[in-house]
Amino acid sequence: MRLLRNLARRRLRTGLTITGITIGIWALVVFSSMANKVDALVSGGSDYYAGKIVVSDGGFGGLGGQPMRLDQLDDVRAIDGADVVMPAVTMIASEIQGVSFGPPDQVFGAPAGADEGRETYVPQVATGRSLTVEDEGDDVTVLGSSIAQKRGVAVGDTISLQDHTFEVVGILEPTLSTPDVTIALPFSTAQVLVHEDLPSLVRDQVEPTEIVSQFVVFPAPGADHDAVADAIEARFPDVTALTGEGFDQSVGSSVALFNSIIVGIGLVSLIVGGLSVINTMAMSVAERTREIGIKRAIGARRRRIIRELMVEAGVIGAIGGVLGVALGALVVVLGNEAGRSSGTVLFELTAGTAAFAFIFSTLLGTVAGIVPAWSAARLDPVAALRYE
Amino acid sequence: MTILEGRNLRKTYRLSRTNSVEALRGVDVTIDSGEMVAIMGPSGSGKSTLMHVLGLLHQPDTNHGAPPELAFAGRGMTDLADNERTRIRATEMGFVFQAFNLVPTLTAVENVALAAEYAGTARSAARSAALDALGLVGLAERANHRPAELSGGEQQRVAVARALVNRPKLVIGDEPTGNLDSARSADVLNLLRGLNREMGHTFLIVTHDAEVGAACDRIIGMRDGRVVSDGKTARTAPQ
Repeated sequence: MRLLRNLARRRLRTGLTITGITIGIWALVVFSSMANKVDALVSGGSDYYAGKIVVSDGGFGGLGGQPMRLDQLDDVRAIDGADVVMPAVTMIASEIQGVSFGPPDQVFGAPAGADEGRETYVPQVATGRSLTVEDEGDDVTVLGSSIAQKRGVAVGDTISLQDHTFEVVGILEPTLSTPDVTIALPFSTAQVLVHEDLPSLVRDQVEPTEIVSQFVVFPAPGADHDAVADAIEARFPDVTALTGEGFDQSVGSSVALFNSIIVGIGLVSLIVGGLSVINTMAMSVAERTREIGIKRAIGARRRRIIRELMVEAGVIGAIGGVLGVALGALVVVLGNEAGRSSGTVLFELTAGTAAFAFIFSTLLGTVAGIVPAWSAARLDPVAALRYE
Repeated sequence: MTILEGRNLRKTYRLSRTNSVEALRGVDVTIDSGEMVAIMGPSGSGKSTLMHVLGLLHQPDTNHGAPPELAFAGRGMTDLADNERTRIRATEMGFVFQAFNLVPTLTAVENVALAAEYAGTARSAARSAALDALGLVGLAERANHRPAELSGGEQQRVAVARALVNRPKLVIGDEPTGNLDSARSADVLNLLRGLNREMGHTFLIVTHDAEVGAACDRIIGMRDGRVVSDGKTARTAPQ
């Protein structure tokens, strides 16, 4: 109570300082939530690419170019070090595409069981079931959680895509990554969709059953993934072979830079807030010089004066932290709700992020109070008592 | 019994590189337990500096002349670190200042309790002791008022209660009636005198006020940093 009365002495100044901290923490929470989302996306990609080599034709998938062919499967399998090879087709699902943060909505098809049990990245089914070999040729689909939510469909409903209607037989658990925006189809069904989507000049040269846009290669145990990837690219000059390490290197550094920038913006805001606390506390100490002199004269030790003022500064930081986290959480929730219908889920606010922001804010306030508190404790009590 | 004894107390304040003021020029002083002593003298005579040194707020100089001696309750004070001097101020001394010097955001009882807390008393016990001390100065019913809601005389009574809350061996007053009108000044003076007579508190009071001096047992007169007189007042002098 005494402490709050001290803070209330200069309500406007204290309020402005708390506002500064609140804005800084708000920025930190919002930007960190954005960074969390990016991390989750990248982490999902990293998990997907781990232990495999994804061979793709690069220019395929809406940008033109010649698709790979299924009859190349045996050539890929013959590469030294390639153990299991799974063909797959992917394409951007343009019909339900909106402005999106993260990977675009996409169609994916691969023969059920073609990975021979080597695939470790298997999103869990929330409702319904997975696709099976028996589904080949049928118009059925398993949807990612975001797409199901965006389209407002459940198991047993249907969705339309490129003049086809598909029955939803399963919906995946949220992963915060690519599977959330994936429309999984039986391989042959997906081949038809991809074929229809090809430019006519290309479409006329290839049958749907020949189409492949990816070979997912599971190297033999102990094989050097980079060497296998190099061998694939040497054998097929027009394709790219991306290993798990290659993905981490190409994406990880960019993401780290992106995260550093957005978290840096938040930290700069906080530094400004911290300077504001120092200023407030320094002014408070100057105004209370005489009071500090009284306290020292009647027996307050230096460390008690330091403690009193640092706690006061810490409370400013804590109040700013609570308000900043609350405001940040509100923006995250409202932002995600507003964007959910278009698939633009920008933020991922974790308990860890909220706790870090609050603790950081409190520490920032406390640390910012050190210098004014220290100078107050060093005051000569006699000189302080004479201070007007 | 001597409660406070100083020998060869010197204090020079350096105002600039070439200018300094010799505020105390070798002062000897002795205060007995239960005494009420006034230090009087014109402005610049060194009485406030002497009070600061005797009240452990400043250390006497040790860098020229014979080394100073300062003993409080039989213990040497000249070599003590700041923390220990602060502890003694908190537990064994009380202070009453001219300008009341209460913390404006705290109520009367909180102001008094603060001194008890600084002396190491737990908060609830400090509050209880503070209420007792306020009762002693006749302000129990004003315990929850803040300084701005009290008259000057009442504020000074709170300050006296704060000085007494830890049952100190010595209470030091710096012009305790200096900011009060004559009626309230007499009121506070009677309070101090009563506490001295009836409860045996030892008071050392710096004052310009001849009436305050006359109410004390003894007056130490100062001029130019030296003690120029030290004698009993008419109140205590043998007839």
